[in-house]
Amino acid sequence: MNNNDIAEKIKAVYKDLEVKPKYSNQVEIRADGIDIVGLLAFIKSLGFEHLSNVTCVDWIKEKRFDVIYNVWSYTHKVHITVKSGIDRDNPEIPTVMSLWPQAQVYERETHEMFGVKFLGNPDLSPLFLHNWKDIPPLRKDFDTVEYSKRAYGASSPEGGNE
Amino acid sequence: MNLGKKSFFSPFAFWANAFKAPTTIRFPKEDLDFFEKPGASPRYRGLHTNDIDKCIGCGTCSEICPTDAITMIESENKKEGTLGRKPQIDYGRCCFCGFCVDMCTTGSLQMSRVYLKNYATPPDKIGDEEVEDIKKHFVLVPDEKFSDDLGYTTPDEYSWLDLERVEMPQMDAEERLQGFIEYVKGFTREQAIKEASRCVECGVCTETCPAHMRIPEYIHEIWEDDPYASVDKMYTENPLPGVCGRVCTHRCETVCSIGHRGEPVAIRWLKRYAVDQLSIDKIKNIAHVFKGGKKEKHVSIIGSGPSGLTCAYYLSVMGYKITIYEAKPLAGGIMRYGIPNYRLPDEALDKDIDVILSMGVEIKTNTEVGRDITIEEIKKNSDAVFIGTGFMESRSTKIKNVDRPGCYRALDLLAKISRGEKIELKEKVVIIGGGNVAFDIGRSIARLQKAEFGKVGVTLTCLEKRDEMLADEEEIIEGQEEGLVIKPGRSPKEVLLDENGNVRGLRTVKCVKIFDDQGRFNPTVDESDVEDYEGYMVVEAIGQAPNYDYLGKDILDKLEIVRGKILTDEYGRTPIEWLFAGGDIVHGPDIIHGVADGHRAAQAIDEYLMNQK
Amino acid sequence: MSDWVEITKIGETDKYETYEYFFGPNHPGMHGNFAYVVDVVGSTIQKVRVSAGLLHRGFEKLMEQNLWFQNISLIPRICVPDPDPNEAAYCTACEKLLGIEIPDRGKFLRSLALEMSRLTSFLMGMGALGAMMGLYSVMYRMMDERDNILVFFEWLTGARIYHMYSIPGGVRRDIPEGFKEKMLKLMDDLEYNLREWDRLLFENPVIHKRLKGIGTIDPVHAVEVGITGPSLRATGYKADVRKDDPYAAYPYLDFDIITTEGGDALARAVQIRKEYEQTINLIRQILKRMPGGDFKVYLGNPLKLRIPAGDAYARVESSKGEFGYYIVSDGGIRPYRISVRGPSLPAGLYLCNEHLPGMRIDDIAIWMASFAVCPPDFDR
Repeated sequence: MNNNDIAEKIKAVYKDLEVKPKYSNQVEIRADGIDIVGLLAFIKSLGFEHLSNVTCVDWIKEKRFDVIYNVWSYTHKVHITVKSGIDRDNPEIPTVMSLWPQAQVYERETHEMFGVKFLGNPDLSPLFLHNWKDIPPLRKDFDTVEYSKRAYGASSPEGGNE
Repeated sequence: MNLGKKSFFSPFAFWANAFKAPTTIRFPKEDLDFFEKPGASPRYRGLHTNDIDKCIGCGTCSEICPTDAITMIESENKKEGTLGRKPQIDYGRCCFCGFCVDMCTTGSLQMSRVYLKNYATPPDKIGDEEVEDIKKHFVLVPDEKFSDDLGYTTPDEYSWLDLERVEMPQMDAEERLQGFIEYVKGFTREQAIKEASRCVECGVCTETCPAHMRIPEYIHEIWEDDPYASVDKMYTENPLPGVCGRVCTHRCETVCSIGHRGEPVAIRWLKRYAVDQLSIDKIKNIAHVFKGGKKEKHVSIIGSGPSGLTCAYYLSVMGYKITIYEAKPLAGGIMRYGIPNYRLPDEALDKDIDVILSMGVEIKTNTEVGRDITIEEIKKNSDAVFIGTGFMESRSTKIKNVDRPGCYRALDLLAKISRGEKIELKEKVVIIGGGNVAFDIGRSIARLQKAEFGKVGVTLTCLEKRDEMLADEEEIIEGQEEGLVIKPGRSPKEVLLDENGNVRGLRTVKCVKIFDDQGRFNPTVDESDVEDYEGYMVVEAIGQAPNYDYLGKDILDKLEIVRGKILTDEYGRTPIEWLFAGGDIVHGPDIIHGVADGHRAAQAIDEYLMNQK
Repeated sequence: MSDWVEITKIGETDKYETYEYFFGPNHPGMHGNFAYVVDVVGSTIQKVRVSAGLLHRGFEKLMEQNLWFQNISLIPRICVPDPDPNEAAYCTACEKLLGIEIPDRGKFLRSLALEMSRLTSFLMGMGALGAMMGLYSVMYRMMDERDNILVFFEWLTGARIYHMYSIPGGVRRDIPEGFKEKMLKLMDDLEYNLREWDRLLFENPVIHKRLKGIGTIDPVHAVEVGITGPSLRATGYKADVRKDDPYAAYPYLDFDIITTEGGDALARAVQIRKEYEQTINLIRQILKRMPGGDFKVYLGNPLKLRIPAGDAYARVESSKGEFGYYIVSDGGIRPYRISVRGPSLPAGLYLCNEHLPGMRIDDIAIWMASFAVCPPDFDR
């Protein structure tokens, strides 16, 4: 099956979703406000057994976080990017640990870098940033220069020390 | 592979290596010997070397540097076309990616095969607690030190710069000859954005432009697809962008940093694109934004050429009342009467002039100073006077028979042609001169000939050799495409007459040298090499001269005139405090110089009038 | 217990005491600054916690602040032993967004750099695996061999470690004159030396005793937790990004997906040994089939390069598994977001919780080396 067939198959079940094939072997699914675990479980049952990663994009102007799931099928050789938009002020989304256990780590990282809460994930403690007290750093409103001035007393306009 | 089955003795096999020569290198006794000469690879990205004479200080290396290691410092190379800067590299930050070398506009910055640098503290610094001193040893200014051991260099084919211009759509020669329609069609939006994206925004052009237009900024706005902002940035230095976007001598493009490796950015066409995108109302909005308060003082301007119009615009921005006196029926001076329509159509010129007139500038056409009004009267009515009367008289070669009927001067003919007046056209024409005016008249006549006789018969002869000709290269190439026959390196001897006394051709001799050893104009000719060119009409286009008669003797006595040009200071001030001058009569024929003079004179006039009380 | 060494005792019963050890960040068996905090009884691990972050350089944030081209100097640093897959993945994703196809010669040159990089990484990985078992000579010999390849990198790209060779649109330099012949000669030498590696490492009874049964994983679970690359193929699962999601010149090359049965550390070591041989073969093919023509598409002035808005995911088979770059552009001159999928994360941060408890502390380093856990690629 190529990416067009896969897109058709998903559309047959999820009629309201925006599913579009792109490039030679990718499918993009826009899945806002639906049961993301159910959708991913369905996708997994189609043969998409490999979760490449879980990440997030901060669309600050639209006040939205897109949680991104990159999944890959070893059987169909097709990649699916699932984008789930969530409210930026109240970022919550269920965990997909039940489908792919290693999602726990990706979700933990995403929580740390964007502040997205993954409901059901038992351990969302900081992974990389020790003693972090600022807003999550990969958010677009986190200003690195301001931070270096605030945290380290940087003196130059670029954020370093003169 | 025989997994897990190993003899008891196999560990001892290792001892065989004990007698091998070590593969590691014992530096400094040995060096890597793999490449043809000892040391690092021929492409190694080691310490930088920079040819200071070639480096123009554009700062592109510093722009692309991903680690911010390069800062630009003052350089001793301050020639024209350079910014007087050179890169300084902080090796504490440098990651030796070589992007600076791939981006270098001139190819002066290169990397060497040298990778060892001793950062040890010099003995006299030991114990010195100043961190700054230690820091300095990481910071090097690349020079020719390692240039004999070059590593990573970037020939043009590897350069990251966009070296090829977007081709300007224009008519082919046959189509051009059909009339006086502007043959350069102008960029489309996509083409303009693509062309604008080639600019690295170094600013060498701004330094070189006589008017110091903010070229990188307005190109950036074009790239951002915002012609309004772009024109807005032009009007701060140049109120004639529509004209300059077509016929400027574009010194900016001559020095353009991209031009060192490839074709310079088409700055002139981009300017034209931005102006053409906007309606006249929008441009008026831009022009009026700067308009300040109202002042009671009155300034008179003689001549409505580039310098006069520019001076009028900036003074009216400051709130002065302006009157322009123009001898000809229409404003524009050389722009209207000297430049043929196929290069500068009247619509473009009118657009620029309308914007200036909309500022409240009063213009009195058909009013020649000295004939219709005297300079004294003008002085009486105004607080300051700016003269920008230009070079409107054609010079003559004064060769034999050149005063006969059938011999013309270029500017007179051009004025007639541009007004659509009939001239006595002949099938064969000889033009003396090799500058832009010679080509203007030559190409204009070619168009008329095409219409009247169906074929072109223009011979153009000049003193300079082909590669020294004063005209723009594209003028020469396009002129040749249109059928102009160019005979360079010839000195006119005499106009030949037939038995009835009509012009029948031009006799020339070979020109060996134009300037004498002192650099003065004094052609040396080889009388034995004679060539005659057939032509029933001879046009002289060897340059223009000013006419100062209208100023009167009293004023002329006080002015200092050197080789036909009035001596002023940088701001156009003359020894007479109320009289300011600019344009051709100060700097020689060049539109953009006129614009610059007009702008600066406006500042000087403002200063003079403010102090006057 | 002398008073200058303090080990945290975290529990005590009448029979045994539980201590907390830091395995890393400074430990000869640890690659990069990363630590497992292990609770041990005797030398048996009870529980493991990861202590990452010592390597965190904020690359993803930094990349959002750089021009598209400037990032090329940053991304190889995400994985030092095998930097080229990063460049290739980043460039492939950019090219997808730009909608361009790079010229064939560019593809082959990119593959050449990728396969050379794979060789250096395998040598380093096998050497490290040997060193983890105390066979330090193996590591030194292999590092020496690796240097021979680095010389060719120096010749091709201008640098030994951070090549920065691929750029969006192709590669930066064509191959130099005489490179092909010498490279083919090197391939013969490397193949010849394989016999020595067999004698030193793979036929060595030590590795069989130490590696057998360590970190065993079955294919189903391996896929479920996201293990990729040689570690996945060592479970007998046939998957290779080069075949499945082809990029660069791989569609033009002949090779099969090699697998090994077993799924334990030994199988993974053998798998790497097999792939090493395959890589040599691939480089020969690349050099022999290198087409002529251009090696890059010109994308215009790098200072003003805009990439059309959109997002793309590109994956590359690195020596450790799938390296993926998810790139989001808002149509500007800088990336809007770049997310890097490092191949070590599933094993290094997740699988350790399943595998390490019950293992002995001496085996952590072996376990890590066999899964090719390279902390820089998840702690970016």
